[in-house]
Amino acid sequence: MFQARPSRRQALAAGATTAALLLAGPAALAGCTASAPGSEGPDPLDAPARRAEADVVLAAAVAGAHSTLATAANALSADRAAHARALRAELHRVHPDQMPSSTAKSPPAVAPAVSSDPAAAQAALTEAMRAAQDEAAELATTLPGYRAALLASIAACCATHTAVLA
Amino acid sequence: MAALQGALAAEHAAVWVYGVAGAFMSSTLARRLDEAATAHQARRDATERMLIDAGVPPVPPEPGYLTPEPVTDAASALRLVITAETDAAAAWRSVVERSPADPDVRGAALEALTAAAVRATRWRQTAGSVPLTVPFPGTP
Repeated sequence: MFQARPSRRQALAAGATTAALLLAGPAALAGCTASAPGSEGPDPLDAPARRAEADVVLAAAVAGAHSTLATAANALSADRAAHARALRAELHRVHPDQMPSSTAKSPPAVAPAVSSDPAAAQAALTEAMRAAQDEAAELATTLPGYRAALLASIAACCATHTAVLA
Repeated sequence: MAALQGALAAEHAAVWVYGVAGAFMSSTLARRLDEAATAHQARRDATERMLIDAGVPPVPPEPGYLTPEPVTDAASALRLVITAETDAAAAWRSVVERSPADPDVRGAALEALTAAAVRATRWRQTAGSVPLTVPFPGTP
């Protein structure tokens, strides 16, 4: 919670500090989201975690194949890797006994096919970001607080990559 | 409601920031500045309506704001608008986190968070700063 008036002054006086104050709530609440999904069916974070991991591999392949896209693709890969780590951490917190599904179920990662046409490779990254944003945005409106905020940030981040790729 | 008031305060600040920053930026950026200012004004008005509908008096704008550094040129003006967008993103993320799973409030907050994050990235592009993106917009 923060007081609107004084914190707004501080926000402009020290944006980073205020952001830390704002986020003290989420961090403190992280341990309280016990209302995570029950035992029925996969955890709803499983799909976005696997998608983030797939995007890391795709973006790395695009970066390797097209030097003109390398900067954008490497940045995308790094952000999606951070998403995958955060989602896996939350999954592990709620299901400490489960192996990450990527290692438990999935076949070994195979480098995805990347078009030799830079425009097509760029379009593939854009499409991946749109799909990831849509998936995260939908979950952000239905999941409990901490998870909703995590997915909201992920959706927003994917939108920024779409903008960079445009 | 506290989170929504915080988001409204961030929108008031952003509207003020765009009013100040525009004076220091190249006229070639005028259209983007106008679009951003208009977006924040619309968000401010919509947020005020949400609070009024909930029977809560909306926080007014501050009479003035302190900037993190003096705004004297285009570069410092760009840093200021990036700060305003970063603050707005944090305030709206907080609304997502603290509001019930209500598609109206959460949806509006997510849209505002996303728009602020995208504008921050575009201004970083303009400023030539690296990295252009952050993995979790709205977090420190």
